[in-house]
Amino acid sequence: MVKADGCVAIHADGGAYKPLNWMNAPNTIAEITDGDPRQWVITNPKKETLTITLYEVISDSAHELGDDPGLQKDGVEAHLQELLATSPHTIEDGLTLVRREYPTAIGPIDLVCRDPDNVVVAIEVKRRGDIDGVEQLARYIERLELDSSLGAIRGVFVAQSIKPQAKVLAESRGFTWVEVDYDTLRGIAPDELRLF
Amino acid sequence: MKFRCEREILAEALATAGRAATSRSGTLPVLSGVRLDVKDGDLTVTGTDLELTIRLSVHVHSDQNGSAVVPARLVADIVKALPAGAVEVSIADDEMSISAGRSQFSVRPLSLSDYPAQVEPGGEPVTLASAEVGNALRQVVRAASTDDARAVLTGVLIASEDDGLKMVATDSYRLAVRNLPQSSILATGQKVLVPGRALAELQRILSGDDELTVRLGTREAVFEVGATRLTTRLIEGEYPNYRNLLPSSHPNILTVGREALLEALRRVKILAQDSTPVRLTLGGDTLQLTAITQDVGNAAEEIDASYDGAEMTVAFNPDYLAAGIDAIDGDEITLATMDPMKPAVLRGVGHDEYLYLLMPVRVP
Repeated sequence: MVKADGCVAIHADGGAYKPLNWMNAPNTIAEITDGDPRQWVITNPKKETLTITLYEVISDSAHELGDDPGLQKDGVEAHLQELLATSPHTIEDGLTLVRREYPTAIGPIDLVCRDPDNVVVAIEVKRRGDIDGVEQLARYIERLELDSSLGAIRGVFVAQSIKPQAKVLAESRGFTWVEVDYDTLRGIAPDELRLF
Repeated sequence: MKFRCEREILAEALATAGRAATSRSGTLPVLSGVRLDVKDGDLTVTGTDLELTIRLSVHVHSDQNGSAVVPARLVADIVKALPAGAVEVSIADDEMSISAGRSQFSVRPLSLSDYPAQVEPGGEPVTLASAEVGNALRQVVRAASTDDARAVLTGVLIASEDDGLKMVATDSYRLAVRNLPQSSILATGQKVLVPGRALAELQRILSGDDELTVRLGTREAVFEVGATRLTTRLIEGEYPNYRNLLPSSHPNILTVGREALLEALRRVKILAQDSTPVRLTLGGDTLQLTAITQDVGNAAEEIDASYDGAEMTVAFNPDYLAAGIDAIDGDEITLATMDPMKPAVLRGVGHDEYLYLLMPVRVP
């Protein structure tokens, strides 16, 4: 398998994600077609070479997969939401949880809290904060505002890391944003006090 | 190699040395074995995982000297299961044969040439009374951490001070400190960090009135009791400054019978499930222990106690609290606190050489 960045990996039927042999990018691939069987010679900047001899070609195809969308791990996001629900004060001082997964007609809001002035705070939790997440929060708040009994509603966008564009958009929508550290949150055993 | 030995003696030797052999995969396969050396009527059994080594000798009736490495767990299980009486063992090139009565086993040995060489201990030997050290280990080792993520906390600090020796262990939730007056194995001011696991094994080996000989090197410590020798690597790193954790004053002091408290705690603890704490309500001349587990139930018990201080409720991890009370010598203990969020100190009345500091748990 030759990836777009130039790295080469030789896989077998077994061994899951682990290749039998590989050469990391950057490197150059030379295809030697005059001999029989054909050979690929991959050379890296250290002049190390990986020579692959092709005895039989069953299929040879190339596919463009586009930009790397990044890995979204749902488990972490759900756990992050859980941790923040048990200690909402890490988002903002004085917050108390009203409900996790607060239902609306367009889907549940991650966390709904109240601040010390009793104002409803809608919180969207993401691992990686980008513009989509801010838009999502805006849609939820629109829905919540239809319920006049809730009064004024604030929005807070929470993620492990938030892209600069998402920060600008959140601020322009009147939301606040907070970056939280997952490992630190995990380390906060809610009630266990430590000596050091 | 060929020898004959009583089953009890051989089983015990294999089990003791086998505790240092490793069962972890990914290490040198030969470390899952114990090394047997027979020389003129003495069988030496050695187990090691390269961190901890246990070696002991027993007298056997030997017909033929020799050395071999055999699977620790398997051979120990076989010998333990044999009928009582004499066990005959003989090892040729690629076969170990074990027989007793009408039972007959044959086992493939491991590679002797792969077995790591054992280093003879250096350093000046110092002799200590094993009963006193055994009790000190019992009191301290329990507070050491078992979490390898913070290696320093898995050790027991042994420090030499003006008035003798100090042993300290902490897992960051509790701290145990034991003084051993008039004992000296180190130069004044010197300190070493010995793995808690090695000291737990030493505690098992120590028995009765034997003398304990200790040799401390720069990288390892060697403990010898009778014919058993335990060698452990020392942990490198800076131990937390535990002295800063010891509160200077305690306005509130509870005095209570040790056995009564331990018994009550054992009962109440049943309803402290899912890491919920046990609450101690301090005030007046009774101590109330309560445990509440949401959706399950609750437990409460009152015991007689004397208390001098402000009324308060303080909560603890029940297992850590029980471990502390259990470690203390004497019939009565004191629990000294400042407030429900500060560490509490447990001591035995008239037994100032030991203290157990315990962090409370926050409760609403």
